[in-house]
Amino acid sequence: MTEGHLGAFVSVMAELLAPDSRMCNYFFLYDGSKVRGEADPTREGICYFYPEETPLDKQELLCGQLAGVGRCVSELSSSPARTLRLRRNKFAIRMKDDFFWALGCSVDVPTVSMCEFLDQLIDLFCFYNGPVRQSYQLNSQESLAAQWARYLSHLQSGSSELSHIFSCLRTIDSTNVDPLLLLKAALILQACQRCPLVLAGCILFRGRVVSTQMSPGLTMKVMVHESETYTKAQKPNGTSTSSSFSGTVSSTTVFLTMPELQYLQFAPVNKGFRYSPSTPQRDTPSKKTRLSRTLSDTPSTDSDVTNPSSSQHPQKVSFSPHLSESDVFSPAPSHGAADSLNPQSPQLLRPSLSNGEHPLEGEAEERPSGSSHNSTGGRTQIQSEGDGSVFEENFHLNGGDGDEACEMVFDFRAAESGNEQLRDDKVVEEDRRDSCGSASGHKAGKSNPPPPPHLPDTLVENPLIPMTLYMHRVNGLVLALLVEPHFMSDATSMEEVYHSSLASLNGLEAHLRTISPGASPAAQGAPGPYTFAHFDCIQSTLTTNLSGQSGGARDHPFVRATSLLHSHFCNTETLQEAIIRSASTAVYGTRSVAQETYFQQNGGSLRNSGIPNHQDSAFSLPSKARHRLLKHGVNLL
Amino acid sequence: MKCFLIASESAEVLFYWTDLEFHQNIQEKYGASQEEGHELPAFEDSISTLFAPIIISFSTMLSQGDSYTSFTTENNHNYVLCQFDECLYIAVNGDGEEKEEDLRRKIYVMKKMTEVLFGLVTLSGNLLRKELRAQDTEQRVRLWKHLQSLLETYSHLRENDQSFLVEAVERLIHPTLCEQCIEFLERRLVQQLNSSAERAGEEVLHAFILVHTKLLAFYSSRNASTLITSDLLALIIMAQNMYPSNIDVDDPSPESFYTPEPSPTDKDSKKPLRGNAPVFEFVDPDIQMAEDSLSTLEICPPDPSTPHRVFLEVSQKDVVYPMMPHSMYCLPLWPGITLVLLTKIPSSVVAMSVYTFLEAFTKLERRLNEGQGGSARGQPMHEVRSKLDKFIKTLALSGIQSSQLENVWTKFKNRAFSRGGLGFSKELIPWCKEMKIQLCGIYRQCFLSDPGPADTPQRLSPSLQERAQTMVQEKLMDWKDFLLVKSKRNITMVSYPPSETDFPGLIHFICVDRSCGQMIAPSLSITERTTSELGKGPVAQYIKSKVWNLVSITRHYLQKGYSTLTLRDGDFYFCYFLWFENETGFKLDTKEIPALPDDSSPIGMLALDYYRKLLRYYSKNHQGEPVKCYELLTVHLGVIPTEIILQHCRQLASKLWEPSRNPLL
Repeated sequence: MTEGHLGAFVSVMAELLAPDSRMCNYFFLYDGSKVRGEADPTREGICYFYPEETPLDKQELLCGQLAGVGRCVSELSSSPARTLRLRRNKFAIRMKDDFFWALGCSVDVPTVSMCEFLDQLIDLFCFYNGPVRQSYQLNSQESLAAQWARYLSHLQSGSSELSHIFSCLRTIDSTNVDPLLLLKAALILQACQRCPLVLAGCILFRGRVVSTQMSPGLTMKVMVHESETYTKAQKPNGTSTSSSFSGTVSSTTVFLTMPELQYLQFAPVNKGFRYSPSTPQRDTPSKKTRLSRTLSDTPSTDSDVTNPSSSQHPQKVSFSPHLSESDVFSPAPSHGAADSLNPQSPQLLRPSLSNGEHPLEGEAEERPSGSSHNSTGGRTQIQSEGDGSVFEENFHLNGGDGDEACEMVFDFRAAESGNEQLRDDKVVEEDRRDSCGSASGHKAGKSNPPPPPHLPDTLVENPLIPMTLYMHRVNGLVLALLVEPHFMSDATSMEEVYHSSLASLNGLEAHLRTISPGASPAAQGAPGPYTFAHFDCIQSTLTTNLSGQSGGARDHPFVRATSLLHSHFCNTETLQEAIIRSASTAVYGTRSVAQETYFQQNGGSLRNSGIPNHQDSAFSLPSKARHRLLKHGVNLL
Repeated sequence: MKCFLIASESAEVLFYWTDLEFHQNIQEKYGASQEEGHELPAFEDSISTLFAPIIISFSTMLSQGDSYTSFTTENNHNYVLCQFDECLYIAVNGDGEEKEEDLRRKIYVMKKMTEVLFGLVTLSGNLLRKELRAQDTEQRVRLWKHLQSLLETYSHLRENDQSFLVEAVERLIHPTLCEQCIEFLERRLVQQLNSSAERAGEEVLHAFILVHTKLLAFYSSRNASTLITSDLLALIIMAQNMYPSNIDVDDPSPESFYTPEPSPTDKDSKKPLRGNAPVFEFVDPDIQMAEDSLSTLEICPPDPSTPHRVFLEVSQKDVVYPMMPHSMYCLPLWPGITLVLLTKIPSSVVAMSVYTFLEAFTKLERRLNEGQGGSARGQPMHEVRSKLDKFIKTLALSGIQSSQLENVWTKFKNRAFSRGGLGFSKELIPWCKEMKIQLCGIYRQCFLSDPGPADTPQRLSPSLQERAQTMVQEKLMDWKDFLLVKSKRNITMVSYPPSETDFPGLIHFICVDRSCGQMIAPSLSITERTTSELGKGPVAQYIKSKVWNLVSITRHYLQKGYSTLTLRDGDFYFCYFLWFENETGFKLDTKEIPALPDDSSPIGMLALDYYRKLLRYYSKNHQGEPVKCYELLTVHLGVIPTEIILQHCRQLASKLWEPSRNPLL
């Protein structure tokens, strides 16, 4: 791996583990049903306590006191407690059945954000483990403690000052990525959805969202598993990134709530609806046709739309590291833990994927060269490289004429040959999951708990429906799909999805790899003439030019103002905009149903005595924000 | 569903108030049938049982270095907790009418009211506990009813009266009449009272006339110290509690439940400090019965001419003495119009001495706690020693039981000053505490204990009070109807500012002079029969709720250090400004205002005076120059361009105080 890549990964790791920026001071789950009698010690009820190194008597004190007060308050008010605040800490509370969750934050964190964080955490747990009571019956406390710890650290990963306020998805910096790549990602997802067993999907790159069809909440949940397998894959060998097939596909059982499922099912998944308006008539007849074909249809359609920009594709210039990259990748070391668990898998699977001719790992570095050649002889490239570059080619050739025929020939061939192997593939996959489950405590997949009917309490309020999360990894890129549970036993569907997307994923990965994944370059530099934060409430994404790790200065005036204004917006539906001003700072906040935007002018002191004065610079903030933010793609007009 | 509770650390109920809903809620939980005649103690037990886990947990957490400040539930019930010395105050709201900030304010206001009623005794948790929870059930019931009705009066005012919303005094805007009245109070009334032989050693310091909650005229005698806004507002609450304005008696709004109804027996007379408080309009027959059974407990109705003992801040020669005893005479002139007299009582000098000694022991305790070295710790105590010796002798001479104080003081001296003693070390701390308790005890004995039946009550004689009442009545006879109307439509958007055409789109404003604690705002009376220009009904009610909400929002931002705020909210545009001026009206530069934690004392003037602290903080940079602090809130229609709105604000800020700059306080 090049140093640049290593650096990028290290920085991802650092973001995941940065301890100072954590939002949560305490978190615990207390099971009141275990402490009924007077003699029962409080510790019996503590299911999980964070930080784990907290002395037991302190744990007991907090659990006992907060749970006691929470119970007392909920009895007085005939409603569960929601927050318990102390002078130095405040706690978001959830009480359900006999469980008592508490998340303790510093008092600076907005209460709304804190409560949201706790709900997310509990939802995450239920997503991967099913109903809480049930998972505590089926699994050991230790293994579930590991789960809580993991979710907690995931939710706090990449914490910047603003992420304590907005719970947002981390996305790739779209200003830095060719829009065509995003489009491509969306198309891959749409293609996968042609399989009726696939509900929705998302594509992630190095812990950031490239494209998603799921709600932000669900995407966030899926990302946890991704980052987990990613981190796991990073750990054993340290430098290993090359993929062998056994590590590339995995699945795990997840649990959706009824609303989540309904959202996915009633959303226009079926089929072709999601495509651009120009495609339906083309899709309708092909509904029953093979996936691979529809996939190859789509790029040509869309490339019409994007024609002008794709001809000056920026990626074309970025292939100089071609040689060194291939050097790094060719040794093909194992990709993570799965490999060691299942040593025979590479042999089994490689032929089915690489067309029997090229080793899989060859594709990664071949593709860029393929696209660099495409101006001269694209089609030969396709032939020689196999499925890895189908999408790639198409993409770059702007749906050039003879391509489609070629691909179809190729695809059919691939599917035919792949059929048998994929069945094996599935067996292997299940094997792997079994061994994995016992080894790493990731049990949800293995135990495969029966659906909720066992638990009337959860059934009544929010039944959780088991589904499967399918993940296909290509180095830093992951295709995550929520699929019906029997998808994993439906060889044909799996095969279709796998093959139809593999090539495109490889292509996408190769492109994304050349792009800095993380924060926008604007964030790195010195403070500009203004600071802004733009939160998209629909997609849960945050755009800001505020540097993420600015010394953890929690009292940063802009963050402080934003925190106050955000709470205010949350509590007052009718509030549209606000300017607040202290002696030294003025911050403008505005919101609509879809977004919240905060803006502060830097430098140039506010020279005014605070008396009402229309010449006060604070009052020019709205117009300044409108103008300045346009170039960040924020439209306040 | 509302509840207010004061409890001791051992979860003993020292005072409680609940609304009907909370009461019923608790009764349902504990079975409705309570023994007749013992309703109150039984209910008290239920409350105590219910809250005990919270109170005990509070102490446990406190001993671990942190303590609860507030709780919320999923159905949006709010709980706020504050501890003052050894008393824990808990306020609960379950109907969404009060936010956390309101509950905390309520707690601080009740704390303020206990200070006005019990003075320095509040500094000793132990004594205050005894005071609030008298052994004698009858006495306890009477006191609790008084406090309950004060709490209700306050809540009612805060919800309906703009001056209690922003916690500043509102004056009747009628410069000529005001001036005449002040002159009358000075030349005729106060002079006559203070020269009368029937004043029994008391001296009228302040006299003022209230029309509902608004101040018509205020006069302070020359040797009186300034009456601070916080105290004045507290006194207005007390006066309103005795003679509630009937503004919304006819109004069928749900608030009528909280309106204290004077009991028929003393409708036309003053209620003494521990007199029977208004009976709630309980509907529940059980409760009604209990109320009836309670009233039978009252053996002798106290003499109506007995003044209220109130404890107010006095400053003398730059020394501030908090909670000095005064007598308050509240003389009703007509329904809605009241004359209030504040007198200095002859023994008040004892209170000053007690306070000085309390201060000395508190400082010593602090020094010992900080472990400051050497004899320096005890240095100031030598002076205190001789003074306290003298003080104890004087007490004995004037027939005050001071033997216990003397005992403790002797022991203290033996330990602190003698050669074989402890010297000024940490071991002395418990003795400092004990001395403070004894001093508070003396104070209690002098100013709070009921005079025995043999003692002649010390007060302005009833006939003198009557004469004062008649004099002012005669003076204001021709004005009374005008005043009553005027107080409801003090200034209107039509009449003030001069012409509405100057400010198109302006819907409402409030301007407050925080340096003198006064406010000006157009009337927002929506409960009266006559319609204001805002009309009656939903629109006026909506504007009112917006204004109330805006004030609470601006306070929140001010608490976090933001002194300017504009909001576009629905169809309205709100502005808020806080700024400083010097006396000549020159605008002074802003200074960063400190950001305070969420659970700090509420921003206002009634409880702990935030603005006084703010002015002191600001004045550090403006030594020797009096600094004034102003606030302006405006509500505009949202369609008006922002520049115009800001111009309005500027014009209002410069114009508002001009016509009324005659000094009244």
